[in-house]
Amino acid sequence: MSERAATIWIPVPPTRVSVRSLVVGLLVAAAILSAMYLHLGPGTLTPSLAGRRAAAEFFVRALSPAARYESDVMPGTPPLLVTALRAVGVTVVIAASAMSLAVVIGLLLAFVASNAWWIGERAGAQSLWMRLLRRSVAPIAYGSARVVMALMRSTHELLWAVLFLAAFGLSHTAAVLAIAIPFGGTLGKVFSEMIDEAPRDAAEALRGAGAAPLQVFFFGLFPRVFPDICAYTFYRFECSLRASAVLGFFGFPTLGYYISASFENLHYGEVWTYLYTLIALVIVVDIWSAGLRRRLVV
Amino acid sequence: MAAGASFVLDDVRVSYGSCVALDGVDLTIEPGEAVALVGPSGAGKTTLLGLLNGAVRPDRGSVVVDGRVLRDLSPAELRRARADIGFVHQDLALVPNVRVLQNVLHGQLGRMSFLRALRAAAFPPRRAVAEVYEILERVGIAEKIYEPTRRLSGGQRQRVAIARALYQKPRALLADEPVSSVDPARARDAVALLVEVSRERKLTLCVSLHNLELAREFFPRLIGIRAGRIAFDRSSALHDRDFHALYDLAEEQVS
Repeated sequence: MSERAATIWIPVPPTRVSVRSLVVGLLVAAAILSAMYLHLGPGTLTPSLAGRRAAAEFFVRALSPAARYESDVMPGTPPLLVTALRAVGVTVVIAASAMSLAVVIGLLLAFVASNAWWIGERAGAQSLWMRLLRRSVAPIAYGSARVVMALMRSTHELLWAVLFLAAFGLSHTAAVLAIAIPFGGTLGKVFSEMIDEAPRDAAEALRGAGAAPLQVFFFGLFPRVFPDICAYTFYRFECSLRASAVLGFFGFPTLGYYISASFENLHYGEVWTYLYTLIALVIVVDIWSAGLRRRLVV
Repeated sequence: MAAGASFVLDDVRVSYGSCVALDGVDLTIEPGEAVALVGPSGAGKTTLLGLLNGAVRPDRGSVVVDGRVLRDLSPAELRRARADIGFVHQDLALVPNVRVLQNVLHGQLGRMSFLRALRAAAFPPRRAVAEVYEILERVGIAEKIYEPTRRLSGGQRQRVAIARALYQKPRALLADEPVSSVDPARARDAVALLVEVSRERKLTLCVSLHNLELAREFFPRLIGIRAGRIAFDRSSALHDRDFHALYDLAEEQVS
């Protein structure tokens, strides 16, 4: 007895810890090997003399963005700032239309892809039809919605744009769809996870008061996640502005179109004018959404 | 208006996996009775309340509410039966980011179609608002009717939860540890309110309570639960021996 009391006994940690450290070690090794394979290092970043000069020229112009076109333009062309503001307008309109569509798609998918609405009554008899719905129809719908969302968002909006350009040509509908599809998939996934992870206490209480599953979902669960859903939607709206601007590289008349055109003509001042408009736009949206979010959360 | 609901548990057993929560429970609660469930945490009080409102399905035995065996009801019938039982949850289970009015209106969801509920949520009918106001007045927070629920204090939120249960127009009121969500000074008020409104509306009342003093003060009948079984079921005009039994329970709570 006294012998045992003298030795200090330490509980042995579960062996899973060593498995975890093995996995971490493998990941670190993989990172190092990838870096070696790609010859990553500062040495590869040495630019050519011409390249360095071009870059310097470009960044110096950041201090003096153009107020008017840097070359002669066709008579009747609106002033540079008007062009920039119009491009902002198109960028915003395409982003907003795409987001509106994406929110509808996202909410519909989120509803189907959350398991919150088909968890049923625990006591009481269940009809065959209800049992069929819960055991097979609902899980199948749930699974397919998850697959659809994965397909929608695994393709980048630029790839969707290429696809729709080929199919429909350079139309606004193509641009809107190219953004709405991947964004809808992402929104659906994130919304459904928010819904499934939300506290279920109020939902259970409403079920206890005799509410039907759909009512439980819309009155007990959805209001709980509504502020989160709004906040995330605003964040994605900022992303869609950027996506909309970048779609201009394919010829849609958003900011990206003018940026790439000016860049190719080496009109760096114009490029900076457009870039600053884009930055200003994102800042304005950020301030606006922050204000809205604050009011929603309280 | 019909009097309170009656409850009969017949040799009920409930287990969660390998953990037996209740076993061999026989219990009858008459219409209009006021009953306190006392016992240490984990004894099975919450499970017992869950049986009474149809949230928990027994492995064995039957739960009979107003002469109807819950197990035999179709989902729709069960929903209707549950609409007759108001439940004040331990964590109150309100939706925090809607107005008090909406939370109380939720009480009647069980009696509405989905579309009517949507319309009532968007444009609450004047009569419904008046009725909610009256109930909130009764529980003492009428001025909070348009306040976002999250801005209320714990005690006020509890009153919202009670108001929601009352707006349900139930025939029985169940409350799980109504004193745990408020400070001790308000605990007595909360229990008193539950007892009074149940008496006024002739509702059957069943409340689980940690606090033996409150239970003895307000409830004519006490049911002691220990380790998933009914330890005693007495009127609260206690003999010394019963009081000692209760006292043992209290000791257990402390340890």
